[in-house]
Amino acid sequence: MSDNALLSLIIFLPTIGALGLMCFNAKAEEAMRNFALVITAATFVLTLLLLGRFDPAQAGVQLKVLAEWIPNWNVNYFLGVDGISLPLVLLTSLISLLGMLASWSVKKQIRGYLILYLLLETGMLGVFLALDFFLFYVFWEVMLLPMYFLIGIWGGPRREYAAIKFFLYTLAGSVLMLIALLMFYFGSGADRTFDLIRLAEIGQGRVPGVQFSEFVQITAFILLFIGFAIKVPVFPFHTWLPDAHVEAPTPISMILAGVLLKMGGYGILRVAFPICPVGAQYAAYCLVLLGVISILYGAFAAMAQTDFKRLVAYSSVSHMGYVLLGIAVWKLADPNLGTTAGAEYWESGINAAMFQMLAHGISSAGMFFMVGVIYDRVHHRDLNQFGGLMGLMPEYGGLAVGIFFAGLGLPGLCGFIGEVFSVLSAWNYSPLLAILSAAGVILTAGYILWAVQRVYLGPEYKGPHREDITPMNGREASVGYVLLAFAIILGVYPESMFGLMRETNKQLVVNMTEGYENSKKNAPKVSAVTPDLGEGVLFDPIAIPANPGAGALAPAIRGR
Amino acid sequence: MDLETYQSTLARLLTTAWLLPLCGFVIEIFAGWWSNRRSKAAAYLAVFCIATGFVCSLTALLYWGEKTEWAAFAGHAAGHGEAGAEHAAGAHDGAHANAAHHAAAGAAAHATPAYPLAVSGTHYVLVQFGRLRVAIDYYIDSLTLAMFTMVTLIASLIHVFAIGYMGDELTDDHEDHEVHTSHGHLHRPGRYYRFFAYLSLFSFSMLGLVLAGNVFLVFVFWELVGICSYFLIGFYTERRSACLAANKAFIMNRVGDFGFLIGLMILWTWFGTFQFAERTEDGQTTPGLFQMLRTPEGEILRLNTQSGQRVVLVDSHGDPLLDPTTREPKTVPYLLLVAAGMGIFAGCIGKSAQFPLQTWLPDAMEGPTPVSALVHSATMVAAGVYLTGRFYPMFMPEVLLAIAYVGCITLFLAATIAVVATDIKRVLAYSTISQLGYMMLGLGVGAWGAGLFHLITHAFFKSLMFLCSGAVIYGCHHVQEMPRMGGLRRKMPITAYTMLVGVIAICGLAIPWPTVFGEKIAFSGYHSKDAIVAAALTFAQLNPKHILLFLLPLVGAGITAFYMFRLWFYTFAGTPRDEHVYEHAHEAPAVMWIPLVVLSLFAAFCAVGGEEGPLFKLLLNSEPAGVAAGRESAVPGGISIPGHAAVAANHVAAGVDALIVAGLGAFLAYVFYGVRWLNPAEVKNQFAGLHRFLIEKWRFDELYDVMFTRPVHIIARWCTWIDRTVFDGLLHAAARLALDVARWDRKFDEGVVDGLVNKVGDLTFATGRSFRVIQTGRLRQYVMFIVVGVIVIGVAGILFVTQLRAG
Repeated sequence: MSDNALLSLIIFLPTIGALGLMCFNAKAEEAMRNFALVITAATFVLTLLLLGRFDPAQAGVQLKVLAEWIPNWNVNYFLGVDGISLPLVLLTSLISLLGMLASWSVKKQIRGYLILYLLLETGMLGVFLALDFFLFYVFWEVMLLPMYFLIGIWGGPRREYAAIKFFLYTLAGSVLMLIALLMFYFGSGADRTFDLIRLAEIGQGRVPGVQFSEFVQITAFILLFIGFAIKVPVFPFHTWLPDAHVEAPTPISMILAGVLLKMGGYGILRVAFPICPVGAQYAAYCLVLLGVISILYGAFAAMAQTDFKRLVAYSSVSHMGYVLLGIAVWKLADPNLGTTAGAEYWESGINAAMFQMLAHGISSAGMFFMVGVIYDRVHHRDLNQFGGLMGLMPEYGGLAVGIFFAGLGLPGLCGFIGEVFSVLSAWNYSPLLAILSAAGVILTAGYILWAVQRVYLGPEYKGPHREDITPMNGREASVGYVLLAFAIILGVYPESMFGLMRETNKQLVVNMTEGYENSKKNAPKVSAVTPDLGEGVLFDPIAIPANPGAGALAPAIRGR
Repeated sequence: MDLETYQSTLARLLTTAWLLPLCGFVIEIFAGWWSNRRSKAAAYLAVFCIATGFVCSLTALLYWGEKTEWAAFAGHAAGHGEAGAEHAAGAHDGAHANAAHHAAAGAAAHATPAYPLAVSGTHYVLVQFGRLRVAIDYYIDSLTLAMFTMVTLIASLIHVFAIGYMGDELTDDHEDHEVHTSHGHLHRPGRYYRFFAYLSLFSFSMLGLVLAGNVFLVFVFWELVGICSYFLIGFYTERRSACLAANKAFIMNRVGDFGFLIGLMILWTWFGTFQFAERTEDGQTTPGLFQMLRTPEGEILRLNTQSGQRVVLVDSHGDPLLDPTTREPKTVPYLLLVAAGMGIFAGCIGKSAQFPLQTWLPDAMEGPTPVSALVHSATMVAAGVYLTGRFYPMFMPEVLLAIAYVGCITLFLAATIAVVATDIKRVLAYSTISQLGYMMLGLGVGAWGAGLFHLITHAFFKSLMFLCSGAVIYGCHHVQEMPRMGGLRRKMPITAYTMLVGVIAICGLAIPWPTVFGEKIAFSGYHSKDAIVAAALTFAQLNPKHILLFLLPLVGAGITAFYMFRLWFYTFAGTPRDEHVYEHAHEAPAVMWIPLVVLSLFAAFCAVGGEEGPLFKLLLNSEPAGVAAGRESAVPGGISIPGHAAVAANHVAAGVDALIVAGLGAFLAYVFYGVRWLNPAEVKNQFAGLHRFLIEKWRFDELYDVMFTRPVHIIARWCTWIDRTVFDGLLHAAARLALDVARWDRKFDEGVVDGLVNKVGDLTFATGRSFRVIQTGRLRQYVMFIVVGVIVIGVAGILFVTQLRAG
């Protein structure tokens, strides 16, 4: 199979499957489910083929597919993968497969559900593989509609409210993105382009004659950032998330937490950062601060919940805060020259943020699945009306505790690496924010252990439908085991993912630092705004001691 | 080549010992599938794994000793020549001097003919970004070897003990008498295999912690032992108290880990590595943390600058490291080093249950007794002390002082609570906290060797005592309250007298005269505690401001003797207090008392020879450079740390003081509880207020509840409230506004726009109607209209064009 066909097939196989579902008899529900399962499984296998063809030693975009789409506006069908998108593509196809396995709990209007589910998968994969901004935008919107219906039709009692809220929030983000898109398009010189790679080169000042001005970069960055921050979600744009999660059916919650939230982080890394290095640097402090607030705020809010699913939803806000924290720890050594201080710490931050996205994709999907399993049996989610499930469903209890501990950030499980390295890389940027973010470890332990205690431990089950509590069936257990296995693999051998993304992230850091320096060279008078919290000299690892010189050092050495 | 064999042999032996329990865990946890609940197969597997681990560790220790020509045992003065005056036994071998301290740990880097005493290496790289790198490293020196041997030995014995102790779980229907459900007592399947699976996982994590060659890896295993402790404390998951205790233990440990993480951040950012030892790769040597901070002599290079005091980083030869771009020497602010040290030590405070995070350990006694013996006395809680010792070169004098005070406060506080506790396991728990305080104090006042010496001896006698208490609890059918015991020595003599060995050891009682083979007749605790008290006395003499650091441990020694003998007399001596309990009491089976006997032998004799004995010398071999010489404060009023020579001079005086105090304490206990001349109840009534204060554990639980737990819950509720009212409120207001606008829009549409359109329509209609007049049907009239129209348009067009041209 040529590369060309492979990428397109990955994106459109689910769509083909959705068309295929039309041919089924409406009564043949089981057959349709199995068919959809085969389609998602095949997509997963295709992404594994993609992994096989990917060369991790190469930093740039690989396996490119380029075809004209709307030549008048220079819109192209442009696909490709690099170290940032590939892991997320793998995650998407995996979570889609597992989500499909969990979809047996959905009982009404199966055909419609499956069709929308598969269309959603196309949208998600398209977003991660598109390299043309217009195409990216189209896929972004394609993803939105199925999600709206999946929550609004198959959701819980307040599904319509939640669906509208989700839709409006996301749409608001899309509109902001659209403005930025047009700004780039019309600012990209004579041969206008939506090509993200080309736009990034322009933004980084590597194309002679064309350059986005600082104003454009900063404005566009803020627009894009808000658009993506809604998706992540970042405090204070997060309130759609708990409602959407609580109302969505289990598999949709898995997708929502496992994949959709990652699009925010991906968008920042793919679009906002490379095209607007100046904007990114301008807003870096704000980004890190919002990340830290999200970590703490999400953890506190999770602690106060009595709805199990809402607790997990807030834990997502908290965990995704580490992503933003890691992405944005870009510190300048000299604001006038635009040189970067401790680039490797920023690089480790970006790597950690990427890893955190993958880890959260596994652990939060797992947590939502675990909530779904018990909800399917007892039809309530009140944390104060559980207890004793470890004794009643030992296998389920064991798997659930394992996955919740992955969320807690226990070493040896996936949550640890991403969290700890984004926090470690933050000190170089701002000790104060780093300390605050580290405080998250206490709160996370608090709310997760408390939830585990209320649900799984204790002498007996306290809620209704005691008689319906049955052990997990094979299908459910397989989802749980696969997720826990991935949690362990990523936790013990993080190189499996770091190896894929390392070169790309390194290149991203180099490109952005150079891009920023270029823009400073071209416009030397404006300096970036970085709040000074008085951490200057003392806490600055790069700052050279005021005047050490050879003379000052000599007595110290002689003295020993 | 030989060197490589030497290094890889050591690494392989210890790695095997480390990984075997993990394999055991993976098999045991699924025992529900391949075995049944009445089978002991999982237990035998666990014992096999850990016992093989012990054999490997011991082999490694002997191999290491043999290859290094027993230099470590012969005399620790090698490498510490400056302190050698009173320890003349040491051979001043240059090669050893080079290899004996942390700084020269890289085996390959120092191709000295003799085998290095410390080796390090890497299993595999975990994470690498640019030059930042974290790997699964190992670091093996005499401390590692001693810890490995101790941990695997004690763990093996405790595993064996647990085979008997956990026997009542070997059933398909276990009745838990402490849990009441709506249908009476709780019935559940036994969880024998799960207990051993957790023990195996714990052994793996603990050994990993000791073997770790970088501080990040220590943190990883730090968390893992924490989670094992969580599982084991909460082993009886149905008991609410057990769940709460498990949560408390884990969360309080996380509070300490918060500090640990801050320390890690500082090291990561300023040193760019977590490694202890230097590493050679592709011919390039990267210094580890200790080499960067200290010269081979253990000195710190300070530098006064305008922005405050800084410390110059050096390479393994003591030359300043230069920044690759600026060619300036790399420096670190002194304050940050203090902060990093405090941060790491905060982690140790949590793990070792030191003040102010001590409250979790007594509650942790909810776990089965073998767990208390292994995790919560001998190994995991000692990990804090171990790390403090391992990380010693990174601690600045201010941090050491803080460590000393934390230990000092803890040892006193816990000892006072132990005096009033009546639950046999809780007395031992407070005693553990108190003894850990002694170790911290020892490390803090500069007695590195003494602190870790006490770690090892304490591990033996405390695990012995916990197992004895387990045997008592087992024999008395799960009675733990001492007021219901008494006279049990007649029913369980082996337990009683092995326990007595432990009690004498912990109290530090000894017969200074006559001597046997030139040795005082004393058990292990005497030697190690003596060393700490001597160091504390010397420290107090050098720094008269800190006299409390000597007085409190001295008083503590007396209290220790009092409450330990109180425990023994209460339980084993005199007449039975509860006939029912006494009637049914019985000695433990052989599988349980054999470990007791073995442990009592170690508790008595492991420290034989005291500070001239092999154990102490073995440990001292890993002492960081510069500790032996002590440190004179450069500025008056600063902190001076005593060296070995100064401590040795005080040894006899301190020993006599401690012995007298301990003897007094033991005598008092005899008076109260042995012969019962005095009635403790009267004393209790006389000091009712104080007694209540102690029973309530100095009211720390209440304090923390008010200070932390409740505020956290209040903030949590605030956050939810903000979400619901502020953010959603804003959103809903915006939605309402949009609807209102839409409504207005509709009104505008219907009223104004449609009105206008209708008006226009009407007007058009009326105009059309009025035009009907000119629709005459006459052709000539129409031609006339057309002509006029064309002319008008033409003129207008010409005018427009000329205007345009003119403009």
